[in-house]
Amino acid sequence: MKIIVCMKQVPVKDSLLKITDDGSWVHETDLNYEINESDHYALEEALRLKEAHSGEVVLLSMGPERVREAIKQGLAKGADRAIHIDNSSFTTQDPFVNARVLAAAIKREEFDLVLSGLQTDDYGSAQTGVILAENLGVPSATIVMEIQKQNGGIKVKRELESGWFQWVELPLPSLLTIQSGINQIRYATIKGIMMAKKKEIKALGLSELGLSESDVEEGQTGLVFSKIYVPEKTKKTEIFEGDPREVAQKLADKLKNEAKVI
Amino acid sequence: MTNNSFVKALFAGSIEQDLIFPYPKMDKEEEENLKLILDTVRQFAKDNIDSVAIDRDETIPKEVLQGLAEIGLFGMSIPEEYGGSGFSTTAYNRVFEEIGSIDGSLAVTLGGHQSIGLKALLLHGTEEQKKKYLPKLASGEWIAAFALTEPGAGSDAAGIQSLAVKDVQKGHYVLNGSKIWITNGGIADFFTVFAKTPVGESGEKKISALAVTRDMEGFSSGKEERKLGIHGSSTTELIFDNIKVPVENLIGPEGKGFKVAMEVLNSGRLGLAAGCAGGIKTLIRMSVDHAKNRKQFNTPIAEFEMIQGKITKMVVDVFVLESMVYLTTGLIDRGDIDYSIESSICKVYASEAVWNAVNEAMQIAGGIGYSKEYPYERALRDARINLIFEGTNEVLRAFIALAGMQEHGEYLKKVGKALQHPLNEMGVLTDYALHRIKKRVATERLADVHEALKNEVGKFEEYAKELHLATEKVLSKYRKQIIHREFILNRLADMTIDLYAMIAVISRVDSLLKEKGEKKTHKQLTICKTFCEEAWRRIRRNARQVDNNIDPWRKEISTDACEANGYQFDWVD
Repeated sequence: MKIIVCMKQVPVKDSLLKITDDGSWVHETDLNYEINESDHYALEEALRLKEAHSGEVVLLSMGPERVREAIKQGLAKGADRAIHIDNSSFTTQDPFVNARVLAAAIKREEFDLVLSGLQTDDYGSAQTGVILAENLGVPSATIVMEIQKQNGGIKVKRELESGWFQWVELPLPSLLTIQSGINQIRYATIKGIMMAKKKEIKALGLSELGLSESDVEEGQTGLVFSKIYVPEKTKKTEIFEGDPREVAQKLADKLKNEAKVI
Repeated sequence: MTNNSFVKALFAGSIEQDLIFPYPKMDKEEEENLKLILDTVRQFAKDNIDSVAIDRDETIPKEVLQGLAEIGLFGMSIPEEYGGSGFSTTAYNRVFEEIGSIDGSLAVTLGGHQSIGLKALLLHGTEEQKKKYLPKLASGEWIAAFALTEPGAGSDAAGIQSLAVKDVQKGHYVLNGSKIWITNGGIADFFTVFAKTPVGESGEKKISALAVTRDMEGFSSGKEERKLGIHGSSTTELIFDNIKVPVENLIGPEGKGFKVAMEVLNSGRLGLAAGCAGGIKTLIRMSVDHAKNRKQFNTPIAEFEMIQGKITKMVVDVFVLESMVYLTTGLIDRGDIDYSIESSICKVYASEAVWNAVNEAMQIAGGIGYSKEYPYERALRDARINLIFEGTNEVLRAFIALAGMQEHGEYLKKVGKALQHPLNEMGVLTDYALHRIKKRVATERLADVHEALKNEVGKFEEYAKELHLATEKVLSKYRKQIIHREFILNRLADMTIDLYAMIAVISRVDSLLKEKGEKKTHKQLTICKTFCEEAWRRIRRNARQVDNNIDPWRKEISTDACEANGYQFDWVD
């Protein structure tokens, strides 16, 4: 089974974020990065599938030079090789554009399964995976918690709401977005880390992917990020004064009709 | 005079700059790997290591050791062909530092295994021995221990009594005796045991190293010792009752075991120092966090200068310690180097710095620092052992001074002999004359150090000369008796420690300045200057007190107390 794992590098969870002056994104220079959590579970799931059914695990990651750290970590854990798309020249926050670029890279490969995390911990749109499946022309399932291989296809367990689950059968090739926490992520071993240097990391640019700059232009899908800001504090304290009976009445009214807690 | 130990050369009056400039640097690929390994260790610790439980239950859970073994932490220093990872000394110690920052018991257990337990095998084992034992030790299937200390032989390691008598016909040694305070004693399967063996025709008993395994008949380990700290580490007695140890289990040449033990401890002391550096970094994190959040008089206590002084000392100490440890490991990785004094310096500095840091961290924390609900008291209990094991700081200070003087003493002795036969020994005398002239005319200089460090370099040169002068002075005054002048030895050792620390930070910051420029190295430069300012003043004081001191009074007071069996001046008669 040949599995491609889409993996993004995102700022470490408890990072202190400083927004840029123009409000377009956060200052990246002082940040530490890690593998996006659900992508990490996707990688672990891919490695387990490979161990059970043999095959190959290929990492696909888009981002500047720094993502090579995450790629190396993935290779150290057991992925066989990696593709790195350096997007320094066309960084976009549009899932549609990102999916188009990823699809161009994946189309160069034969594959049975594409796994990605459910969503990224930075933008959290949960869009890229499903749009990618459309681009590739393969069926997809989201919020996947378990994968079973069947003759000619797979059967997956999806998480619905309120503790409900759904089993879905898909043919291969297909794409799954993986829910966090579905397995126990392994630790990279020292041996794995030292072997990682021997594994291939192929760097691809737009031209190698057969894309032009207009394909990755911002705003072409109508999605524009206008501003990023820290949630504004809206806490307001109101003090009622006067006769306790009237105050109590007022309070009850507020709690019932405004705060809607009683 | 050339020497492959920077410090030994320093005693003899020469600054071997080439040995320590530029500051050693890891190659990029190894550094990247190291970063990934450190990430793994941190993640594993975060998920699996509960120091409160380890301390309370007095054991490290099997799953934790197994998990660490699976990652490969038991075989870092073992070459790849025997199932390990073949780390450089620098990489090994940096990972070990991380373990020290996580848990004291764990650091001691892993250090007992790798820094000393299996080290003799790595350094002197035969191919067969390595093939037989190292793969098991690398995988963590077996844990190793280093067994030297005996009831009657602690600091005086040469005084061990365990006896291994060779039965040539049967092809084994018969080993009898016992060991105490053996780290990993209760959990190890492989032991590097030091015992006396009758050697040669005279049958003179000399120390040899033997590979002993738990499954040998007649081997047993005692119950776990109850200790102040490092509760999760195993410490037991070992008993050898007529153990038949095959002759092929001799590690290194017969009768050369003492040298083997000292070599092992040299490397072990560096690991210990690295572990202490990790511990101090954790303590700084805890202290800073507390000092920023704890308010008194409406002010975070981090803004009070008395608290700032404590934090500063911790930061400067760990920067200096790192500089020394990774300078030394870098020298080892470059090859062919005598680092016995340097590693002892690192051990002494590290253990005292971590002890200071734990004391200050507890003080910053105030009342809660004393509470069992917080980690400070455990850190304090865990840190204390570092001043004692792998050579007490006292015996190491004596070693630093005596070993430093030794070669120069030998040289002076030669000069003395040459003076009796001047015609036959012209070479020695010319050499000596040149040496004297050089010393009187010019101080040894450091060349091409960054301009921003001019002041520090000047002080180093000045006080390096002071150490050399003091050495000549005490050698000619006390001759062999210097071995008993421990007040003096202590001062020479402290001067040496400060000088090595100075040159280590100077070299490190010089490399940073040249690579990144003054603006980006400003913070490190301030730390370097802060340390050097304090260090040269200590050196000056110690140098002055080599001649001018109150040692006789100090000796008298102690002798009196011993004679009186305690304090004899209670004001209530």
